[in-house]
Amino acid sequence: MGAELITVSTDTEFVHLAWKRDEKELADVKYAMGADPTGKVSRLFGVYDEGTGLALRGAFIISPDGTLFNSEVNFYNMGRNIDELMRKFKANLYLARKADEGCPSKWKDDGDKTLRPGPEMVGRVHEALND
Amino acid sequence: MSDEITTVKIGHKVPDFELTVYEPENHDFGKRSLADLKKAGKWTILFFYPADFTFV
Repeated sequence: MGAELITVSTDTEFVHLAWKRDEKELADVKYAMGADPTGKVSRLFGVYDEGTGLALRGAFIISPDGTLFNSEVNFYNMGRNIDELMRKFKANLYLARKADEGCPSKWKDDGDKTLRPGPEMVGRVHEALND
Repeated sequence: MSDEITTVKIGHKVPDFELTVYEPENHDFGKRSLADLKKAGKWTILFFYPADFTFV
């Protein structure tokens, strides 16, 4: 889909290799596994925990021109929802083509209802979403 | 701490960064930089997690 997924932790690339080799859950992994042992990239995105030297669970979407469009950061003990990450990614692709529209929270894919902000919508979002 | 890093904000340009990566498909090590990904016209999705050998 014209996107590169990179997973990042503060482990080295050698540990990534060992983990990929040993953990059967990772058998199908194709994405690049990024090593950030200095925490430099983790700090750039605000997910570096100075107390532990680990990265919090963060997901970030960057456009081809280098703009940060989405971020989600969870504490250690809460997983992220991949469907929601993909929904945001698809919405970004859609909005890159239709910059004057907005994707409401229930938007899932091309063809779903979008909003077009303007004077007619002031106080009429309910009607715009449900007509 | 001489080179302090500012956290990038939503809607702002991300400064270039580079990561050494393990590439399972080639079973080799490599590099990924935001500059290269931009040049290739690609979106970049970064997925941080605390540590290998734990659940992600």
